[in-house]
Amino acid sequence: MDALIYTLMSGAERSMRAQRIHANNLANLETGGFRADLELATSQPVDTGYGYDSRHMSQLQANSVSSREGVLRQTGQDLDVAISGQGFFTVQFGEGEAYTRAGHFMVDQDGQLTLDGRPVLGDGGPIVLPQFSRVQVASDGVISIQAPGQVETQQVDRLRLVKPDPAAVTKNSAGLLVSRSGEPFAADETVTVRSGHLEGSNVSAVEEMIAVMSLTREFEIQMKLYRAADAMAEGGNRLVGG
Amino acid sequence: MNPAMWISKTGVQAQDAKLQAIANNLANVNTVGYKRDRAVFADLFYQVERPPGARNDDNTVSPSGVQLGNGTRLVGTQKVFTTGNMQTTGQTYDVAIQGQGFFQVEQSNGEFAYTRAGALTVNDEGRLTTATGMPIAPEVTIPVNATNVVIGENGEVSANVPGNTEPVQVGQITLVNFMNPAGLLALGDNLYQETVASGVPTEGVPGQDALGKLKQGALEGSNVQVVEEMVDMIAAQRTYEMNTKVLTSADNMLQYLAAAVR
Repeated sequence: MDALIYTLMSGAERSMRAQRIHANNLANLETGGFRADLELATSQPVDTGYGYDSRHMSQLQANSVSSREGVLRQTGQDLDVAISGQGFFTVQFGEGEAYTRAGHFMVDQDGQLTLDGRPVLGDGGPIVLPQFSRVQVASDGVISIQAPGQVETQQVDRLRLVKPDPAAVTKNSAGLLVSRSGEPFAADETVTVRSGHLEGSNVSAVEEMIAVMSLTREFEIQMKLYRAADAMAEGGNRLVGG
Repeated sequence: MNPAMWISKTGVQAQDAKLQAIANNLANVNTVGYKRDRAVFADLFYQVERPPGARNDDNTVSPSGVQLGNGTRLVGTQKVFTTGNMQTTGQTYDVAIQGQGFFQVEQSNGEFAYTRAGALTVNDEGRLTTATGMPIAPEVTIPVNATNVVIGENGEVSANVPGNTEPVQVGQITLVNFMNPAGLLALGDNLYQETVASGVPTEGVPGQDALGKLKQGALEGSNVQVVEEMVDMIAAQRTYEMNTKVLTSADNMLQYLAAAVR
């Protein structure tokens, strides 16, 4: 059998899997703080010796995220925080920490600041707010509260903000960002946040739609080549069979 | 089958849920004391694949690996407790809370519920109730023939009673507050119920501690902003549409495959 059909298969397989990445990005078009997954086709030579120079399998690589900024939306809630520019919030994930751009924080019944149930980390570990009548998040991430009956505000903690190199982050199975090396990132003082705003998803609908369309067409071409390979094999069979 | 189909299905479903929340918000644009719902989404779990022995060429810096997402999901709806617009009505029993806090009402089953809708009325026994007839707790009874009922900023209810030249205090309205109001369970009828997530209610006099003051003759309108909801609606509709396009594309791919095999 001609190896053409196997080379084709790797291409068709890649198109189908890449389609999945774009489907996921589009499904998360309205997910707050979502980072689009990037997808890349790489060629992989078939390394089995002489005679295979023309055979390069196609392979999908998708383990990095887009660092483009999402659109900020004003919400007016004190505990909705968006990062302006690059940077991430830190949340507790199991024993370690994970990073996210989503900032729809909530206070639970014990006063702990949480994000979808995960404790939000500050300079001194998980942030716990005492009873407050007002809460404020300053642009440097400092959280201060106004205690009931008090006029002055008091500083509680500071959000742990990090600004790693975009290439150093990857997604984990929970969809949160983690350090590629496994080492936690150091806090960065230059990250600024905006209270009362939320960042939307950074998925570009146009790019994703174009990618979906072109992948579908690529797949169609690959299917045409399947037929061509099949027709060639059939032609050979006929020659032998007479 | 092509997994892109199920992934775009989650996207379509999520937008469907969002549209439902928007429709409910818009329907309640004139509901006194209504707080808008916000749909919160999160990405579903990822399949992190690292093909064993996979080679990378020299140019790629990142180690080979594939993360395949599985779509999106609705984490929940959050009540947004920003203050609604104040409407001055001039009615004696219209009371708005200026700041944090809830009125405590007694349900027919004896349990307490909480509300911010201050369109109060007096029932046949003279008890102060909500517009749906649930009595305010602690009980406030307006005496028969009382005139000039005044509800102070601190919740003190006083009235002129025949035989007295000075107004007399006839009751005290208290407010309750929660650590996490967004964790309250919405019961409908403008009522909320305490949950584990909301924490226990702390009762107090209006204007003290973190509680807001009362304003007689005013009502707190819904905090739904029509323009915002409309923009959200357009975005939700288009996202829905784009996800169905992916569905069609995934279907087309399968069709090409089936045609190639004959």
